Amino acid sequence: MSRIVVVTSGKGGVGKTTTSAAFATGLALRGYKTAVIDFDVGLRNLDLIMGCERRVVYDFVNVINGEASLKQALIRDKRTENLHVLPASQTRDKDALTKEGVGKVINDLREDHFDFVVCDSPAGIERGAHMAMYFADDAIVVTNPEVSSVRDSDRILGLLQSKTQKAEQGDSVREHLLITRYSPSRVEAGEMLGMEDILEILAVPLIGVIPESQSVLQASNSGSPVILDKASDAGQAYDDFVRRFLGETVPHRFLDVEKKGFFKRLFG
Amino acid sequence: MSADSVEIKGEMTMLSVLQLASPDMVQVRQGLRSKRDSLPTLFAGSPLVVDCQALGEECQKLDMQQLRTVITDLGFIPVGIRHLPDVCIEQATQAGWAILRGGRVPPAARIEKPATRGANASGKSIEVIDRPVRSGQQIYFPDGDIVVLQHTSAGSEILAGGSVHVYGSLRGRVLAGIQGDTSARIFCQKLEAELVAIAGNYRLLDDISTDLKGRPAMVWLEGEKLKIAPMF
Ligand SMILES: Nc1ncnc2c1ncn2[C@@H]1O[C@H](COP(=O)(O)OP(=O)(O)OP(=O)(O)O)[C@@H](O)[C@H]1O
Ligand SMILES: [Mg+2]
Repeated sequence: MSRIVVVTSGKGGVGKTTTSAAFATGLALRGYKTAVIDFDVGLRNLDLIMGCERRVVYDFVNVINGEASLKQALIRDKRTENLHVLPASQTRDKDALTKEGVGKVINDLREDHFDFVVCDSPAGIERGAHMAMYFADDAIVVTNPEVSSVRDSDRILGLLQSKTQKAEQGDSVREHLLITRYSPSRVEAGEMLGMEDILEILAVPLIGVIPESQSVLQASNSGSPVILDKASDAGQAYDDFVRRFLGETVPHRFLDVEKKGFFKRLFG
Repeated sequence: MSADSVEIKGEMTMLSVLQLASPDMVQVRQGLRSKRDSLPTLFAGSPLVVDCQALGEECQKLDMQQLRTVITDLGFIPVGIRHLPDVCIEQATQAGWAILRGGRVPPAARIEKPATRGANASGKSIEVIDRPVRSGQQIYFPDGDIVVLQHTSAGSEILAGGSVHVYGSLRGRVLAGIQGDTSARIFCQKLEAELVAIAGNYRLLDDISTDLKGRPAMVWLEGEKLKIAPMF
């Protein structure tokens, strides 16, 4: 049984693609056969974050249009076994994604015995975002600690309850909240919403908090998902998140302002 | 002149009223946009009541669904519609419009309508919602009371023919008694609503006195006056 997971947010630039890459890599590292699909047709960048942009020959839209087989289009990740990337098209527009077409690709992945299919949603609430969530069993709702991002996530949660196949069948998509770009010092300074405030507004189970981290930019510049950077705070937080998703109980970290080191405490 | 096909007036201190002068959506869109752009800070995200008095029988040419879309597209919040001829009410409610009474028009005629109050065809007179009502969602139940077991979000709408009970934070807009029932009430666990209305009498709550905010509260109508008081 494949599990289809959409990574979505409403608002743009909150960390969906960063999360999709880390999440899919984390699942594959634990031995699950995983595919990650870029639904951001026209603005693809999952392939860059995954470091496979030079190996893109066919894309998602080619497969939907029958111009290539799924096998031809899926890119096998060089670093991580069990991991496959289906890139988006750079040249088409979002109307190329049809419900039938997307449904067929998802079905083919099920038949190929993929354990997880991670759908990296584009921003907004238009067609691309709708198609990314339509077949989902689970949704990772990515939120930044700011009012507009939280509001958009709330909107997306509403759509998950009405515009998905699960909803149409009277069932529901499992919702998980992932807070990213969390900066405890800015929360303490009152410049950002705190974790409790966000949970109070959205009332969705929290699956992880990813700190604002320099390591994310470094990882994306080098085309290597940040979860592979085991020394980094963001990498560790993403790893915790994957473990929680798989059912482990893992305490939340990186929520408090870092204590000053011994020397800093002594000398200011 | 397209800008003349609509007229916006401030009323009831803060609510804007859109006076339709033409059923043509292209004109309405153009008119509303130029009004908005003339005072963007004043109108941005503000609730809007549509008044159809000037249209009269021409109302039948209105595309109610599209009217809603035009208004939300331009960044307004459609609160309700009023002075609508009876023949158009069905179409308007289907499109999710709350039918409001104009300030002075007594709601007597509609209350008597037996089919709309009490039990409907399926015998249901209460709608229970067991999930949060999210931003962008609307719960519309003209046949009776709405009970929400969780919170409602900012940017959500609840429209009930009868009363509304929210057993969590009430953060969106709530319109009770949308068919004119002046005895309808609103109850909530934590009052943080953007707007409350009963039988077309509405109030924006950004000015709410601080000791009421976040408290269990009840909203009801005394004559024409909307009353809000803490419950405990
Ligand atoms: N935890 C983090 N710390 C610091 N920077 C981050 C973090 N997460 C994401 N970013 C940065 O935020 C930017 C947007 O990230 P990303 O592309 O993953 O967002 P997105 O939601 O996929 O955007 P879009 O809506 O455009 O698809 C990138 O520059 C990324 O490096
Ligand atoms: Mg992205």
